[in-house]
Amino acid sequence: MNTGWQSRLTSSLFVLPYLISFAAFLLFPIGYGFYISLHEFELLSDSHPFVGFAHYAEIFSPGTYLNSLFVRGLWATVQFVLYSVPLLIAIGLALALLVNALPRKIRSWFRTVYFIPYAVSASVMAVIWLMMYDTNAGLINSMLGKLGIDPIPWLTSEPWVWVALVSTTLWWTIGFNMIIFINALNQVPEDYYEAASIDGAGSWRKFASVTLPSIRPVMLFVMITSTIASFNIYAQPFLLTRGGPGDTSKVLLMNVLDQAFIRKEIGAASAMAILMAVMIMIVSVVQYRLTYGRKEE
Amino acid sequence: MFKVSSSLTRTFLTLTTAALVLTACGGNDNGGGNAAPSGSQGGSSAAAGGKKTEFLFWTPFSGADGAFMKDIVEKYNASQDSYKINFVIQPNGEYYKQLDVALSAGKDSPDLAIMHVDQIPTYASKGQLQPLDDIAGQSGIVKADYVEAPVQYSTIEDKWYGIPLDIHPLVMYYNKDLFEAAGISGPPTNRAEFEDAVNKLTDKGKGQYGYVVPTLWPQQFIFPTLVWQNGGELWNGTDVAYNSPEAVEMIAWLRGLIDQGISPANVQQDGENTLFLQGKNAIQFNGPWMKSQFDEAGLNYGIAPVPQIGKAKQAVYAGSHSFVIPKNTTDAGVLAGIGDFLKYVAGNSLAWAESGQALASKPMLDSAEFKALPQSSVADSFSYVQFAPNVLNWGTIIEPVWGEINNALLGKKDPQKALDEAVAKSRQAMGK
Repeated sequence: MNTGWQSRLTSSLFVLPYLISFAAFLLFPIGYGFYISLHEFELLSDSHPFVGFAHYAEIFSPGTYLNSLFVRGLWATVQFVLYSVPLLIAIGLALALLVNALPRKIRSWFRTVYFIPYAVSASVMAVIWLMMYDTNAGLINSMLGKLGIDPIPWLTSEPWVWVALVSTTLWWTIGFNMIIFINALNQVPEDYYEAASIDGAGSWRKFASVTLPSIRPVMLFVMITSTIASFNIYAQPFLLTRGGPGDTSKVLLMNVLDQAFIRKEIGAASAMAILMAVMIMIVSVVQYRLTYGRKEE
Repeated sequence: MFKVSSSLTRTFLTLTTAALVLTACGGNDNGGGNAAPSGSQGGSSAAAGGKKTEFLFWTPFSGADGAFMKDIVEKYNASQDSYKINFVIQPNGEYYKQLDVALSAGKDSPDLAIMHVDQIPTYASKGQLQPLDDIAGQSGIVKADYVEAPVQYSTIEDKWYGIPLDIHPLVMYYNKDLFEAAGISGPPTNRAEFEDAVNKLTDKGKGQYGYVVPTLWPQQFIFPTLVWQNGGELWNGTDVAYNSPEAVEMIAWLRGLIDQGISPANVQQDGENTLFLQGKNAIQFNGPWMKSQFDEAGLNYGIAPVPQIGKAKQAVYAGSHSFVIPKNTTDAGVLAGIGDFLKYVAGNSLAWAESGQALASKPMLDSAEFKALPQSSVADSFSYVQFAPNVLNWGTIIEPVWGEINNALLGKKDPQKALDEAVAKSRQAMGK
């Protein structure tokens, strides 16, 4: 006789490994990060005095060092999010539609090809794209030169620096969104399209009225994960532009890490990181609400 | 009954698995450090009868240079029977992060470590390092055997905190083939010679430039060098001083090279090095660590001290690797071993010079073997090397300068305006 408490215990035990890992690697670090952010926490000092919300207050006081680090970094990050997220979604979906429309035989080959860059490490990505973008010795500019176009300062001038960073990000990460979209497209029942055809819908109409509504939950997922990933941008500007030109592309995470490991003020750095996390959460919730709000119309 | 015990077994298994996962991960965290204990290769150490005193030595040499230091440590381990060094390489970019964590945790922290000389005052002021005077005295290490600049810098309130291993100043690399083709006999040593040379070396038709001006790294070495040469300062004792006329003039001079076409505009990160490797940039100023890259590329290049561009004096910005002993190293046997090793290194560090570095030990610098190395001319500049100003948090104070110099050299801001804004941001970083 399998009594209730025993089966409940058994199923609880199955969750336990995940729960322990979740607590140890996510919940605890977040809590500890918040704890640190309330202290003057210097790694090399023995005393870490409690300062309450002083770091947060400083971040919000115009004219202070932390405020300028945070605001300038945030502006660069937000610009990147605004430029990259729409393209990450649109091009991810476009690639998925394209690959899905290919003959079955070469479909998986192209799927793999587009996904490969996702598996490349940040430093390799940087080496490749530094060679591509180099103003005076790069591949792209030498091809433009053949067409009689003057070299473009990809990494040293606005707006090109954003074009370059977004393009690199698309190349590097678009495979992930594409795979998710391909799975979503495959789950749209074939009879919807048949019904639409009978009603006389063209391919654009089918896409707008059948495909898009059917994949809305996945769209939301991709939107939120892309936004989070873009907020966390670090490797591309750190390795390609070093934050330049000037500090145009010096994103928030670069400033957080400077504060933590050059200035060694982990407390203030944690406060910046926690605020960044809160901001990402708010944006995600807004995106969620907007998507579901539309559904109720 | 059986059921209960079986679910207990399951509980036990689950917990054990979880514990294993956790310890495995924990092990990985500090495990990176223990990846390369060199002693494990010398099987003889286990076979040797007497018990050896072991100590832990941390370095940031995760590049090609790691093998050279490992070689020194292995030879030392084999050379005597009393001590065994456990040699650890931490990833270069993570080094101080790892060191801070190890020092603050006090567990698995190094007994001996390499530290950049300009970090020593910070760590000493936080009480993380111990003075080396006693150990040096006991092992016969004397200050006079080392180049003065790093010894002086690491002597704080009459206590000596760092025994220098090498000094890496900014140096000039030049392409010998291009020099020959342009009819230039030797490396330039002053501004007039430099300007004359880069004019002759520039050939726009061939896409060849005399001196490609980097707009980002290694300006961290170039800018201080030029400012000091021109009689300016980065720090005047109480405040940042890099918007002085001397500093502005040097940035304007660099910008002038771009305007005259001696350097292309809009040079990106590493752009000057790419062109140097392609034989399209005749001269670059960079660190001694670049040497192995040029050797691999098979370039016909020369190394010389950076010419005196500024009008006041010869000067060059440098870094230096030093040995330091953390305060937690208290065991007398270990300290004696460290002294013995440091004395050994002072006389046996030629292997380190083969990595491209110039040594800080005078007996080594004077040796015929070192003088035969191509970078021996680097040591010519040791009488006038300077290190970063000894100011707490200097790295974040000066940080805004690099972005503003970038703006000035990209032609987005006037040099004076750029440096004025850098100073304003730096003052903010100092909390002024």
